[in-house]
Amino acid sequence: MLKRLLATTALAYALGLSTASAETISMWVRSGIGDSFKEVVKAYNSAGEDKVELTEVPFSELVQKYATAIAGGQAPDALSLDLIYTPAFAAAGQLEDLSDWAKSLPYFNSLSPSHVKLGTYEDKIYGLPLSVETSILAWNKELYRKAGLDPEKAPKTWEEIAANAEKIRALGGDTYGFYFSGGGCGGCMIFTFTPLAWGAGADILSADSKKATIDTPEMRKAVDIYRNLVAKDTVPAGSASDNGVNFLTFTNGKIGQQSIGAFAIGTLVTQHPEIDFGVTLIPGVDGKPSSFAGGDNFVVTKGTRKLEAVKKFLEYTYSMEGQKIMAKYGSLPTRGDIAGEVLEGLDPRLKVGIDAIAVAKTPYTLQFNDLINSSNGPWATFINAAIYGDDVDGAFSNAQSEMQSIIDAGQ
Amino acid sequence: MTMSGIASPPPRHRRRKQSGWRGLLYIAPAMALVGVFFILPVLFTIWMSLHKWPLLGKPAWIGFGNYVRIVSDARFLTALGFTAHYTIIVTIAIFAVAFPLAIFVEKQRPLVSAYRTIIFLPVVVGLASASLLWVWLANVDSGLFAPRMQRLGLTSSRINLLADFDTAFLTIIVMVVWKIAGFTMIILLTGLQAIPAELTEAARIDGARRWQRFRYLTLPLMRRTMALALILSVTGSILAFDQFYIMTSGGPQNRMISVVYYIFNQSFVSFNLGYGAALSIALLAILVAISIFQLWLLKVGDERP
Repeated sequence: MLKRLLATTALAYALGLSTASAETISMWVRSGIGDSFKEVVKAYNSAGEDKVELTEVPFSELVQKYATAIAGGQAPDALSLDLIYTPAFAAAGQLEDLSDWAKSLPYFNSLSPSHVKLGTYEDKIYGLPLSVETSILAWNKELYRKAGLDPEKAPKTWEEIAANAEKIRALGGDTYGFYFSGGGCGGCMIFTFTPLAWGAGADILSADSKKATIDTPEMRKAVDIYRNLVAKDTVPAGSASDNGVNFLTFTNGKIGQQSIGAFAIGTLVTQHPEIDFGVTLIPGVDGKPSSFAGGDNFVVTKGTRKLEAVKKFLEYTYSMEGQKIMAKYGSLPTRGDIAGEVLEGLDPRLKVGIDAIAVAKTPYTLQFNDLINSSNGPWATFINAAIYGDDVDGAFSNAQSEMQSIIDAGQ
Repeated sequence: MTMSGIASPPPRHRRRKQSGWRGLLYIAPAMALVGVFFILPVLFTIWMSLHKWPLLGKPAWIGFGNYVRIVSDARFLTALGFTAHYTIIVTIAIFAVAFPLAIFVEKQRPLVSAYRTIIFLPVVVGLASASLLWVWLANVDSGLFAPRMQRLGLTSSRINLLADFDTAFLTIIVMVVWKIAGFTMIILLTGLQAIPAELTEAARIDGARRWQRFRYLTLPLMRRTMALALILSVTGSILAFDQFYIMTSGGPQNRMISVVYYIFNQSFVSFNLGYGAALSIALLAILVAISIFQLWLLKVGDERP
């Protein structure tokens, strides 16, 4: 009985393999990165033979969901993984080695270098760039006009941003000058807030990621700037408990200025055409701009049976057609060789996102989740305590010691 | 107190052997369920707790290393402290609300079943859904409380209830009481209804006043019921997780990390499944100890009622 059952299953399995001309790839993507990837999938599904079945997973839970799915044998064939996690997942031996195929791609050398660097572990390539995103500062031109400010003049310093915020807040009602997700969203704040310190040359981790260096004069100045914005009532009260759900509050049209991601440009242009906005680089505390180079890597679960179909899909994403769709919805081109051509005729504001790459940083640490992204991690706690709490010194010393102890425990 | 009016059951010596086997047969399905869904997972958890068991990668045997780590883990002790704080306050709050409600709906009065239903309704809402609902109610801009309080002139500006520890904690306590009190009320109600009306009447004829009847008659006779309600409430509160995870993501500056939340974080954020398993076993031991203590305190299981 059991034998017969096994034989039937094996037969069905073999038949399934031989007749599978059109495959369905299961893929995960994290929420909050805009629509660019979803649109590429849509185009691919309507054109090609293969299908991509996309599951959107909340960005704050993607890592644990994927890790649990691997442990339970339910992992998708491929996923769009926040690039900072690629080394940790590759190190755990869960990803397919793509080195040979990747190097055979004619445009391999023009793929976004920081993505490839983070996708490489022990000289093997496990992750390839899927989407590139940088953080930038957006301002609402309509509110600038109403507040008597020059809507075409991008703010260049935080003194300017703070002054503008107060004027916009003076419009009254539920119009506010500034917004950030300050309620324990470590991911949001590393993306939008650390550029203040980076621009001035400080960092929260040492170059080798072995020392926490959060307590610097530059970071204290950055915290003061945000505290001041809060004290002047230019930030909605909801910010203090926003764990990232309302990261794109700027899209409600009642926020004067906010640091957002380049993805949001696409979201704003396509879904909120009524909002008239400008974008510029995020100034550092001393005026020198900086940015966070983020985005996603495309990784393949080790042992997937659909490797060929997955490769075919990724090649489509890298084609001119795929890149154009991605760019239209706000993802910056991943291929440097055709970036100019891809952006042709698209929203000129996307160019600010490209400019940001030149001044952008990406932290490299295997403990990114523990240190930064976890909503109960030291960075998320620090942000809320330092900006909204009463004891700034305590917030600094707690964050410093807790980050260091997590780093030490991971050695 | 000599309330013992129940005769002890007649001796059943001869039948015991035969019915023993039959009894086992009857409880076998239940035992199988307990075995598969409780005992085996616990054994596996113990096995895991003796390893360094990352979510990704290979586990390695480390003996009692995880348990040694627990003793000096300050964050676990903080979580324990917060959980104890929460358990005490929420249990008192639930009983303070549920007991009067139970007395209120026990007496036959017009519309009493309507009252019972209304008070019980929140119980059938899932805790996660209830938390989400209250996240909205407590939302500073689009919610109910903050804009309403401002409009009524109680606060000069909108207060973000979930941004400050005290107000966020209060919001969660109110939510949990709203959600759970109906259930505790039903349990207490069954206890109240089990008290024979003759006893109360006799006491009244003897001249006992309302408070005396409650203190010397109702309370002692409800000991078992209260033990059940208390254990359910305390156990539920110690295992609290959903409300903190959904409503405050661990609270302003991590001040609302309950023990289960900490176990979740260790297991699925830091990926230390082995350490999470060890913490779970420690929590299980604490729960068993507390339950035994409560049963002893309320003298449930003694021959006297």
